Amino acid sequence: MRQKLVSALLLASMVGTALTGCGSKASAAGGAVNKDGIKEFTAFFAVPGNEINDDNEIQQLIAEKTGCKVKETWLTGQTNEEAIGTLIAGGEYPDFVDGGDATVQLYEAGALVPLDDYIDKYPNIKEFFTDQEWDSLRQSDGHIYWIPQFSNIYGEERECTHNDEAFWIQTRVLKWAGYPEIHTLDQYFDLIEKYYESNPTMEDGTANIPYTILCDDWRYFCLENAGEFLDGYPNDGSVIVDTDNNKIVDYNTTPTTKKYFEKLNEEYKKGIVDPESFTQTYDEYIAKLSTGRVLGMVDQWWDFSSNAEDAIKTAGLDKAGCNYVPLPITIDEGMKNQWHNSGGVLNVSSGLGITTSCKDVEGALQFVNDLLGQEVHDLRFWGVKGEDYEVGDDGMYYRTPEERANVADTAYKASHSCPYSYFPQWLGTSRDGKNAMKPEGQEQEFYDGLPDTVKECFDAYGVKTYVEMLGTNPAPGPWYPMYTYSSTMTTATPGGTAWALMDEIKHQYLPKVVMADNFETGWDEYMKAYESCKPEDFISEMQTELERRIEVAKKYE
Amino acid sequence: MTLSSSNAEGVISLDENKVKEKKKSDFSRLKHQKVLLIWTAILTVYGIIFYYLPLGGWIMAFQNYRPKDGLLHSKFVGLEKFKLLFSDVSFLRVIRNTLAMGIINLIVTFVMAIVFAILLNEVSHRGGKKVVQTISYLPHFLSWIIVTGILHDALSGNGIINQLMLNFHLISQPINFFAHEKFFWPIVAFANVWKETGWNAIIYLAAITSIDPSLYEAAAIDGAGRWAKIKHVTLPSLKPTIMILLLMNVGNVLNAGFEIQYLLGNGLVQNVSQTIDIYVLKWGISQGDYSLGTAAGIFKSVVSIILIVFFNQMAKRHGEERLF
Amino acid sequence: MKKKISGADLAFNIFNGAFMVIFVIVTLYPVLNTLAISLNDGTDALRGGIYLLPRVFTAKNYTTVLGKDNLITGAIVTVARTVVGTALALITNAILAFIVSRKNFVFAKPVSLFWVITMYVNGGLIPTFLLYKTLGLTNSFLVYVIPGMLSAFNMLVIRTYMKGIPDSLEESAQLDGAGYTTIFLKIISPLCKPVYATVALFVAVGQWNSWFDAMLYNRMNGNLTTLQYELMKLLSSVTNQSASAENMKNAVGSVTPTSVRAAATIITMLPIICIYPFLQRYFVTGLTLGGVKE
Repeated sequence: MRQKLVSALLLASMVGTALTGCGSKASAAGGAVNKDGIKEFTAFFAVPGNEINDDNEIQQLIAEKTGCKVKETWLTGQTNEEAIGTLIAGGEYPDFVDGGDATVQLYEAGALVPLDDYIDKYPNIKEFFTDQEWDSLRQSDGHIYWIPQFSNIYGEERECTHNDEAFWIQTRVLKWAGYPEIHTLDQYFDLIEKYYESNPTMEDGTANIPYTILCDDWRYFCLENAGEFLDGYPNDGSVIVDTDNNKIVDYNTTPTTKKYFEKLNEEYKKGIVDPESFTQTYDEYIAKLSTGRVLGMVDQWWDFSSNAEDAIKTAGLDKAGCNYVPLPITIDEGMKNQWHNSGGVLNVSSGLGITTSCKDVEGALQFVNDLLGQEVHDLRFWGVKGEDYEVGDDGMYYRTPEERANVADTAYKASHSCPYSYFPQWLGTSRDGKNAMKPEGQEQEFYDGLPDTVKECFDAYGVKTYVEMLGTNPAPGPWYPMYTYSSTMTTATPGGTAWALMDEIKHQYLPKVVMADNFETGWDEYMKAYESCKPEDFISEMQTELERRIEVAKKYE
Repeated sequence: MTLSSSNAEGVISLDENKVKEKKKSDFSRLKHQKVLLIWTAILTVYGIIFYYLPLGGWIMAFQNYRPKDGLLHSKFVGLEKFKLLFSDVSFLRVIRNTLAMGIINLIVTFVMAIVFAILLNEVSHRGGKKVVQTISYLPHFLSWIIVTGILHDALSGNGIINQLMLNFHLISQPINFFAHEKFFWPIVAFANVWKETGWNAIIYLAAITSIDPSLYEAAAIDGAGRWAKIKHVTLPSLKPTIMILLLMNVGNVLNAGFEIQYLLGNGLVQNVSQTIDIYVLKWGISQGDYSLGTAAGIFKSVVSIILIVFFNQMAKRHGEERLF
Repeated sequence: MKKKISGADLAFNIFNGAFMVIFVIVTLYPVLNTLAISLNDGTDALRGGIYLLPRVFTAKNYTTVLGKDNLITGAIVTVARTVVGTALALITNAILAFIVSRKNFVFAKPVSLFWVITMYVNGGLIPTFLLYKTLGLTNSFLVYVIPGMLSAFNMLVIRTYMKGIPDSLEESAQLDGAGYTTIFLKIISPLCKPVYATVALFVAVGQWNSWFDAMLYNRMNGNLTTLQYELMKLLSSVTNQSASAENMKNAVGSVTPTSVRAAATIITMLPIICIYPFLQRYFVTGLTLGGVKE
């Protein structure tokens, strides 16, 4: 027994030493060339993400075409500030980095390479932004250090899903009422009430839940910010920008927001609002949606589509009309709604940077440039022709049902797909002028993938996409969206402190307001607590930023 | 560092000489103690490097630490971070919450583990005993996210608890357990008991094995029943283990946790659910302020050390087993 | 030993039996529930309502988890760190516990205090990171087994047990001319098997479940990844502690079903359950076994 133990220990320590041995050699990268003649880079993204396998097929194809390969790692079990803080303390970086909200710390620590001198040499990178946009990325020292990757439109915009926030409703409710035009908050709840009255349960006898509110942690936007949209303003996120006089308005205290919460309070008392709204977790919320019981809610599409909508389909509930469509709702009839905005959103606060640890900056940028080329871009987002998509006689890309299923499969994605998803990428129309840059933008492909009940609903309203359900508006001004500023605020400034306090108070009081026996008293209590956070500090800092942005934009008029 | 540790060794050998003279121990005894001293020195050096050296980082609490400046060049702000903490009403509230949950958890998990270990030991069927013990520690391996998910399920409107209470007419309406502040601490305590009782009991089970069987035999001859045996043999034999674990855990009352409160809490109960660790994440790390977290950490350390020193002295006075 | 069952004892047995049955049901449920979810179709599981049996059976969650690349490397490293780490921790903690449990050792108290304090102080993430980097522990296997090797908690658990061993054993050995080394190896340690097994279990489980150190110190080194780190990466998209609306919007289709987590949990638990009976015999015994005879 003892001998066995000793030999096991010896063996294990040998394995241990062997691992240490090869350990010191393994962290090469930095643009080093491997045995196949492929340059290998490393990347760290301070966001949670899907890791791909080392022997990923498309990554290999891209490596053959570009001569480069990037090993990506993602945030695991830490906050992004913590992860970036440790990187900076250690002073050793991966070649590519995106620090999320903490990106600016990397710049301050001198960890990033200025890119402006290089950009002109790489046509695909140069083309990625206009001069004005490039300039907006300049930091306090006048240099550009990172490239925002997302929401950039090539050619004509192609958008089928409304990825953002809306009042959603199940198609069965609309169908039951004969697809009425629903424009106001009152009409929306009226419809839900009436439907619920005559259909208290689903076909199998499960009780319907007329309206639920997701309120879990940071996802409480589903409760708190509908007021700004109901007033006809777009998603500036943290504030309303009054376009008449370029003033920041606090949407938390507007009459519309008060009316919205009063309505929720009224519906709560009527038993329309799910009593578990404020205590349910995200998982429970998704479970409710997935059983098809919930008639309507406010949410952003990405927050429930990839799980609840899929589950509804898998359970065959799409046939019963349990899928959701967005409605263009405002507080009063005849107002313009701006739930959906066209055009990209340039979030200047973070992006892909190259670090001082990278030994081959030109090679790294060449790779980014190659990733933006059409052929590689298609590989990243469409995949391999004949395996992941087909090409019709008209040159249009489409997917077979089997190919669509593969796209949703975690294991398949890990071994096959390689979108390099935190590298710069295009939306909009492909350079061939026909196809969309990404499958999500391909109208026919999108429509074919819809459940019949949603198609029927779209037909009834004479639309083809979710976006058309809401209509679309151009971005309201050069400042848009203001949330790219508020998301970088910290308690280092009075405004940032106020912003954090407001968040805390709203988390606590908004549920109480909705559940209050007497709405007015509840609202007054909330307002009293709210005022004590000094929201004016936050508003004034936002106002300064708004004016700065307008000023910067003037240079290009 | 090497300097100070070699100094320490020098002091140790000096003291040793004095003691030897005093005690007039024989030569072989000194030789024996030498082995102990050498090992003590080695292990102390290890302790200094891995536990005490990083405490240099406490300097952050007195700085406005910025990653770009590092530990050496960040701006000193004195006690500002501590002032900030203790002038914030919500920090005082999270201290209260942390203490309350820490103490409740300490008591219930502690008592449950001992009761379970003793009762399990009384199971006469050996196979049954092993099976029960194996099952009891399994929840330890489930992550909090799984356990809290199941708890949420069980306590929801149509969860098993509400259904049972409705069936027995204890209530007329389902209770929304997570909406009331009064339920939060008990739920957290229950979750801790549920997940860790079997695991915590392992130490006591190991200690029970060292009890001399002749003590039980003697008790049996005196006509002791099961309860009497537990009271007069098992519990007294477990006492040193119980005391040591109690003392160690008393120092941990401010570490009531993060994950479980984070996962079970919501806006309605945030007044009672937020702990020091949650506060630090929210107002420190998430705001890019590392110093605040370090300051809170120092506060926790100081309180812990005061607590264990105090309770250690108490134990000493009562002649119980103690930490040092 | 003859047993006479009195009325009180019978009542005790019934009560105790009932208690154990309830306890087993309550503690077994979450495990069985996790097992059921792990064997259920992920999308279907989103709908909730799975208790003890899977509703739509599938092995897909397991193939997804087992299909994660680097899992083999991770498993080898994890086994290595568990074995090496447990051995090192057990040896060092036992030595220290032995030293401070000697009644006539001059520094028993200060040394104990020195270690007790380590339980309640923490320099923080960044200073610790810098230290390990300076010591050359980053990008190395040693970072798994050297820091945290000696822990006051484990040491004190062993010390308490050692103190329970009668002094007469040591004294008589000393009369025979035995040194401390001999006393430690030949007299004390054999009697400490139950507590050694307990501490070995604690350390081994801790090692087995570790992933944070792999992520922090060896992130860029695929050869030093651990099983749990690979699983955490697989699951990290569902931990929303750091997520924000902006991040989630860009992370297209990154939501991993709860079922995959359940499968990963079961997979990590299995080896521990298999090895457990070998350790269990040291701390679950009948009344007639074990015990220290003078």
